[in-house]
Amino acid sequence: MLTQGPAKKVTIYLNEDTRHHAGALHDAVMTFLMHKGVTGATATRAMSGFGSHRVLHTPKVEVLAEHLPVVIEFVETAAKVEEVLPTLYDMVSDGLIEVQDTTIVKVARKERNQPQPNPAHDRKSGPAKLIRVFFGEADRWNGEPLHEAIVKRLRMMDVCGATVYRGILGYGHKGHTHKSGLLHISRDLPIMISIVEAADKVEQVTAAIEEMLGDGLIVVSDVEMTRLVRSRPEGGANAGAHSG
Amino acid sequence: MPARTQGKILRLHFSERDRWQGQPLHEAIVQKCREMNISGVTVFRGLEGYGETGEMHERHLAGSDRPVVVVVVDTDERVRNCIPVFEGMITTGVIAMSDIEMIRVRKGLTA
Repeated sequence: MLTQGPAKKVTIYLNEDTRHHAGALHDAVMTFLMHKGVTGATATRAMSGFGSHRVLHTPKVEVLAEHLPVVIEFVETAAKVEEVLPTLYDMVSDGLIEVQDTTIVKVARKERNQPQPNPAHDRKSGPAKLIRVFFGEADRWNGEPLHEAIVKRLRMMDVCGATVYRGILGYGHKGHTHKSGLLHISRDLPIMISIVEAADKVEQVTAAIEEMLGDGLIVVSDVEMTRLVRSRPEGGANAGAHSG
Repeated sequence: MPARTQGKILRLHFSERDRWQGQPLHEAIVQKCREMNISGVTVFRGLEGYGETGEMHERHLAGSDRPVVVVVVDTDERVRNCIPVFEGMITTGVIAMSDIEMIRVRKGLTA
């Protein structure tokens, strides 16, 4: 598994039609890298190119289009590169192999929706508070829409979730009706944000919202929360304990 | 520090298509709330849903039958007083009530 920091990048230049045993060389190289457990490799077919044979391979000329270049690149740890390089050296009968030092900035891995069964839900239930905040769509906070500003702030405060609803009709203590219609496109429809949070954090959340809210209503009620969290495979040591 | 008071929140669930005396029911309810001096009402429209009759309420090619939720917030007494009124206006639907703590922010009132 790759981590942030120094690593090696290997680039292999080949011809598309160079053979390796029965198949194409670039196929053989890719298969070999996968078998060796290289984290990832990319083979790219080039637009045009020339090599030591001094022939410009380009798709514009039919005869030359058969020898288009293929570039295979992969990034791996120095140890892994050491391991695969001798075999690559052997395999590449016509082409060029280059190794350079590189730095890995980010390794992000998105879990694929694989057919394997989903991990069990982690149920977290208990008493909590539901906060609803009412104001108008036209309300702003430092130039940005208030509902966006509040959600951003809540996110920063690590509040587990917030939903913004836009109403179609309503009025508040200011008394003017917020309404949308076909001929009357309103820019000041009612907005409600609902937030569910543990009771001990509610004071902190309402205080933050109060500070941002110019005019509006905050409503707090008791709720019973059942939170279903899909545990990640690597962090889910206790995932098997709850089957739900 | 804004005042904190106990109150009630009322949610009325029905269909966008429901009418009362020729007028869309949610508009009629908002108007009624104004007459009864309820401090605030908001109407939300859902994307789809189903209720007592079991049929889906969703957007159709002609017309729309999406679910509507009317949220009423006020003191316990005033909310209780308006329940019978809403009961008379809604033909099929649900009225749900829960306890709340209200924090009213009125900083911009002078503007």
